[in-house]
This record gives sequence, C-alpha cells and structure tokens, in this order.
Amino acid sequence: MPRLNVAALRNELLRAGISPTHVRRTLTELNEHFEDLVDERLIAGCDRDEAEQQALQSLGPMTDVATAMLDQPQLKSWAWRWPRVAVVVYPLACVAALPVVPLIVGVEHAESITRWTLGLLLAALVTATMFLVLQLAITLT
Amino acid sequence: MAQTNPPFMSGVPELLLLRLLEQKEMYGYELVRSIRKVTGEAISLGEGVIYPALHGLERNGALKSRRKAVAGRTRVYYGLTAKGRKRLAKLADDWRRVQGGIESALGAPAHA
Repeated sequence: MPRLNVAALRNELLRAGISPTHVRRTLTELNEHFEDLVDERLIAGCDRDEAEQQALQSLGPMTDVATAMLDQPQLKSWAWRWPRVAVVVYPLACVAALPVVPLIVGVEHAESITRWTLGLLLAALVTATMFLVLQLAITLT
Repeated sequence: MAQTNPPFMSGVPELLLLRLLEQKEMYGYELVRSIRKVTGEAISLGEGVIYPALHGLERNGALKSRRKAVAGRTRVYYGLTAKGRKRLAKLADDWRRVQGGIESALGAPAHA
C-alpha cells in the first residue's frame, strides 16, 4: 500500500541544519495535505490504494521538497547560521543548566536533590581548594 | 532601463501566494486548490513544495501563521502581514512592468 514516507525527508533536512521547528511543521503539513488529497480521491470514487497513489503523485517527490527547503538559508537553525556563537553559547547554557535541571526534573524530591547538589558542589570546592593549596605549596617551595 | 528584473519567473509562486493570502487566511491544501482555480490550471506545481515557500515567506516576515484544529486535523493557516502587503505591491509592480515589456516586444515587428 503506498503511504507517505517522510522519515528520509526528516533526516535529510535535520542533517542539513534546517531548524527542527520548521522540519516538524513541514512534516505535519505534508501529512495533513496527503490525507486531504486521499479524501478528495476517495470522494471522487477511487479505492484507497489508488487514492493514496494519486495523492503521492500530486504531492510530488520529497526530494523536491528537500531541495526547496535547502534553497532557503533563513530556514536553517541559528546554530548553523552562527556556528561560532553556538560554540560559545551551548557549553555556557549546559554549565548554567547543570545545577538547575535536577531541580526542574525532580520537583517531588527537590529537597534530596538540592542536598546532593550542594554536597557535590561542596566536594568540588574542597577538591579545588586542595589543588590550589598543592599548587601554592609547589610554587612557594 | 531603471531597474533589473531579479524576481521575474522565480517570483511567480511568491506573488500568487501573497495575492491569494491578501484576500483571506488559508492553509496549504486550500492554497494549492486556489492557485489552480485562479490560474485556470495554467500553473501546476508539486504540491509539497508550497510549504518551503510558505515557511520562507513567514521567516521573512511577509506571512504569519496560526494553528487551528478542524475536524480532527491540525491546519496551519497563513495570513499576510503589513510587510507582506508591501512585498506584494512591489512584486505586482515588477510583474506588470515585465508583462508590459513582453507585450510590447510581442506586438513590435520582428527585426533581423
């Protein structure tokens, strides 16, 4: 049975750096369009296989859709348009999110998570202090 | 010549989309049907490629979109923005200028 297969299109667009938002919406719209075309053919008297086959033909090759998307650089995600900014922003965002994410994810156990996070931060601080003392000791002797 | 014609044929789908959306909000399938109707089926396109064009216009600020659930399906309706109206006016002017030029060329006697 012919069905609309958008998996390859999704992968190609994402690999080429098209923004995930645009990819998701394009696939949704293509699926809805396909269903509308099938309904139109069914009403015209086609059986389902025939209706789906004709709907696929009307929609055109997915490679054409991919080409039309890739021809528009403004549809690329910001990380692809400004890679140097992304290289700075992504690591900073990850570091900033580290203490916050456990709290957001585990609201039910926020107290325990906070205790563990503070413990880890304290341990990191103690380790850093030890390294600093060692470094000072080496420098001063 | 005062201006060049960069949009020429490549601007036709954009012009049609903006013109149709000037009248009312529409979703992709509806737009394709309208293009066929208003052009007397003179312009037919692989229907899937309308979405990249719509997304590009939206990204440029010429269109705005909103989701609407209709009979269990999610429709993305597109409408024209103020920037889109300006773009439409410019494209329509360009098109009329080109059309006028071609018509006068076709009407003029051929030279060797």
